[in-house]
Amino acid sequence: MNKKQVNGFNWIKMMNRVLFLAFFCLGFWSVGIGFSSADEIKTVRVVGSTTVAPIAARAAEAFSKKHPGIRIVVNGGGSGVGINAVGRGLAEIGMASRQVTDKEKKNFASVHLTDHIVGRDGVACAISSEIFNAGVTQLTREQIADIYSGKIKSWKAVGGPDRPILVIDKEKHRGTRHVFMEYVFNDVNARAKGAKLITGSNNEERSKIAQSDSAVGMLSAAWLNADVEGVALKKGDTFIAPTVENIQSGMYPVIRDLLFITAGEPKGILKDFIDFVRGEEGRSIVTESGYVFVPGS
Amino acid sequence: MFSFLVPDRRCHADPMFWITVFFAGLVLLVAIIFFSYLIFESMPIWEQGVWAFLTSVEWEPAEDIYGAGAMIYGSFIVTTLALLFALPFALCGAVTASEFLSPRTRLVFKGAMEIMAGAPGVVYGLLGAALLSLWIKDFFGLIDGATLFTAGILLGIMILPTIMTLAEDAIHSVPGEYRDTALSLGLTPLQAFLKAVAPRALPGVIGAVLLGLGRALGETIAVMLVIGGLDIVPSGFDLFSPGQNIPSKLGREAAEAIGSGLHWNALLALGAVLFFGTMLLTGAGSWLLRRNKV
Repeated sequence: MNKKQVNGFNWIKMMNRVLFLAFFCLGFWSVGIGFSSADEIKTVRVVGSTTVAPIAARAAEAFSKKHPGIRIVVNGGGSGVGINAVGRGLAEIGMASRQVTDKEKKNFASVHLTDHIVGRDGVACAISSEIFNAGVTQLTREQIADIYSGKIKSWKAVGGPDRPILVIDKEKHRGTRHVFMEYVFNDVNARAKGAKLITGSNNEERSKIAQSDSAVGMLSAAWLNADVEGVALKKGDTFIAPTVENIQSGMYPVIRDLLFITAGEPKGILKDFIDFVRGEEGRSIVTESGYVFVPGS
Repeated sequence: MFSFLVPDRRCHADPMFWITVFFAGLVLLVAIIFFSYLIFESMPIWEQGVWAFLTSVEWEPAEDIYGAGAMIYGSFIVTTLALLFALPFALCGAVTASEFLSPRTRLVFKGAMEIMAGAPGVVYGLLGAALLSLWIKDFFGLIDGATLFTAGILLGIMILPTIMTLAEDAIHSVPGEYRDTALSLGLTPLQAFLKAVAPRALPGVIGAVLLGLGRALGETIAVMLVIGGLDIVPSGFDLFSPGQNIPSKLGREAAEAIGSGLHWNALLALGAVLFFGTMLLTGAGSWLLRRNKV
């Protein structure tokens, strides 16, 4: 059909090309590796809650500066993913923004999941700023329960504009969901029949609420901003807004501990890192991330 | 003992023969292990009742209740929508490219289609989440754009180039004599296509459609970004309700469940259902394509 086929396939030329490409790629790769291949890298894998991740990421940076041989890799995924990863030995530290459930304890009975408090945080009932500015600045537990179970469908019923509510739920294993549902329904695994959308990380949930003009969701208080406002929740007879001060003082009703979880008692470099986060250097890191530092717990 | 491989015994002396046989065997072995693992690991779910798993819409990992109904429904609706949306465009495009474009233009057109067909799902997903879901939300006045409908349209756009380019191949591979004969009998080009070419190309076109469907059925990330992620079967075929399909469910929950108990078994059972579905589709697709070529 064409010349190449008449002359037969040119193996040598082809092999040359393949080898050239192979070395080309190998070159780039080894340059990349070369920089990081200092002797004896120790890698600590930190996986889990996206609420805890900012603390871990900042701490990892500061810690690696002091200990150049140590590489700390921080990844999100959610509290359930973090606990599962530690339980299965896929990570050294799991981050969780909720307690380990009985089911998880049972699944990983052999590894003795141990938790270390690295901070404290409030869970906000977050709504689109349009709704907040239209007057919905506080909600009772019963109102939130009705919204999430689908009984209240319009913002009008809670003093807002006549607009349907976009109820945003979270993946079931997420720490923020456990804590929020415990507060609203007294059941960490409560079903939300009114939900219209499922999100995962804090970032995903926040951008969905911000994108909409009539959404309600659950969010770590540190993630609130001008587009996503947290409503005040009732405690006793007063409504308490999810501000840093109210969370620090313990006034805000939905507060949870942020945890690092290890398999058994941490030793060596793991212990150093956790002590670092919980020590004096950790204080500024935790505060910078928008959370409350819990000294020496 | 290896005579089943090749009748000609002279081949057995060639080392190249054994190398190729080794790798071919390896591929076969991996396929077998893969399939057995899916079936074996999902056994605890199947033992609880195959029908119950396939039809129940309750999925509550915390209570160890697993039903795939919502995911199977979502997969079905989304792929059907994708097909309905993509088919008219893909077929018209294929006919135009094969029959009515000059060879040069055809190559440019085909090139563009093949680039589109090769674009990764996540790219489509990003566009879907950033643009399509907002357009659909505004156009239909919904409270949110993450719906089964959005996922279906997005998948339709994704599989359109795949179907179009494969269908075009099938149509174009019908020998020219059929067209020439039809034209010389006085038929117009369009009539010639419909009466002489289309029947010959049909198996190949169906094959192309099935391969496109296979891609739609397995697409994960693009769907995950726009489908809403809610495990429900909406009442009354409501397409503008959020939903869930199998790959998106697997994508959302795999990391939390790896290796842990019934939850993991249930996800693998979902995987097996999906695997079986795509196997049927691609199997049928390649069978029809092969028949067309011979």
